Amino acid sequence: MIKYENINLYFDGKMIFNDLSLKIAKGEKVVVLGKSGLGKSSLFSLILGFVRPQSGRVSFDGDPVDEHTIWHVRQKVSFVDQDVSIGDYKVSDWFSFVAGIKSNHSLNFGEERINELMDLFELGRDLLDKYISALSGGERQRVAIIVSVLLGRRVFLLDEVTSALDKNLKKKTADFFIERKDWTVVSISHDAVWLDNPNVKVFDLEKKAWKQ
Amino acid sequence: METIDISIYSLSLVFLLLAVPVILSQVYGLGLIKPLLSSATRMTIQLVLIGVFLKYLFLWNNALINILWLFVMILVAVFSAIRGSSMKPDKIFAPIFISFALATFVIIFYINMFVIRLDHVFDARYLIVLGGMLLGNSLRGNIVGIDTFYKSIRKDAKKYLYVLSLGATHHEAVRTYMKESIRLALKPTIASMATIGIVALPGMMTGVILGGASPDVAIKYQIMIMIGIVVSTMISVLLTILLTSQACFTEYGTLRRNIFIEDNPE
Repeated sequence: MIKYENINLYFDGKMIFNDLSLKIAKGEKVVVLGKSGLGKSSLFSLILGFVRPQSGRVSFDGDPVDEHTIWHVRQKVSFVDQDVSIGDYKVSDWFSFVAGIKSNHSLNFGEERINELMDLFELGRDLLDKYISALSGGERQRVAIIVSVLLGRRVFLLDEVTSALDKNLKKKTADFFIERKDWTVVSISHDAVWLDNPNVKVFDLEKKAWKQ
Repeated sequence: METIDISIYSLSLVFLLLAVPVILSQVYGLGLIKPLLSSATRMTIQLVLIGVFLKYLFLWNNALINILWLFVMILVAVFSAIRGSSMKPDKIFAPIFISFALATFVIIFYINMFVIRLDHVFDARYLIVLGGMLLGNSLRGNIVGIDTFYKSIRKDAKKYLYVLSLGATHHEAVRTYMKESIRLALKPTIASMATIGIVALPGMMTGVILGGASPDVAIKYQIMIMIGIVVSTMISVLLTILLTSQACFTEYGTLRRNIFIEDNPE
């Protein structure tokens, strides 16, 4: 599904990746592990076309990620960044903004579906009327997760999505993603709920190898 | 009613007025004497030259020469605009030039043809004077617009990339920033429209009145030029943003890394 081949990536003269190769198959659940500054997030930026490698190849679903395919790739991937939002609007505006993007027009952003997910992630209904800036870190993370699920895509790139959640919610969230057989999930996280799950493969970015 | 000419002798009386700041500067040690006198000299020389030039321009009143001169004015405006911007000149020169030229021409042509109904659409007096006013006033808005646009995308990088990741087209991703920067670019002009005439007598009116026309003619010209300025600012800001996109964004829709002056070269 996602393939990095001999990637060399420099940023501001600093080496991020040197000859990195990694293959993630369809339906796999992968956690990327490594110290900060190792370039974990750059793995996501490469798939999403936010950075381009100096050499090497990134492919998505068999096609190389380039200036032509990237717009299509972005419609296939759900990306949840660390404390991301759409600016200072209400939570409900966040949903309507995402639903308003042309390529998302056919999606179900109905009230029922939103409420179902809000319940699942233990968010009160009154949250919809709150301003995003008034949410706690954990609440914002969960809204971002809900948005990513509403997008109806099958590939998830999750950057520290459970970091601000309490123990119970961490488990619930990780399991939610891990249990979907047809979803390909790549998660950057240090949380045990991901690392200790037997269905999750752990990639050690420092050693550039799968952890046995 | 003719405008009263100022004789050379009378003009020297104006220069005498400069003695006031010179003496004050001396007394209080403001250090303004040299810059003041040098600027006054520069201004005088420039205006004398332009006076002679305009005299012939009006005398010949040749459409081609008039248009050429308007282009020179646009060029100077663009250089001045670029100096005030935080963007790299090579990225924005051509887009700003094309935008200014197009916006100015469209508005001037419309005004001269349909509003003032000149027989000679490229008449020097109207083309040069109105063109100068449009350019001078849309300049600042244009710089505010384009700087705001690119700076806010850079500042909001995380959010901008998130929106791209949601499957937005480039146009969809920049739309909020476009709206905000055009709004900011037009804000001063819209605000000054609302207070015009009460707070200050605007330049166009002063000129028309001194030129011998009655105030009711003057206000019509003022209304015309204010609307012209808003429209041409809007056109030029929008066009500048659209035309700089190619040079400032990658084919992946991300902002290029070397578009601001403060950036290190790639």
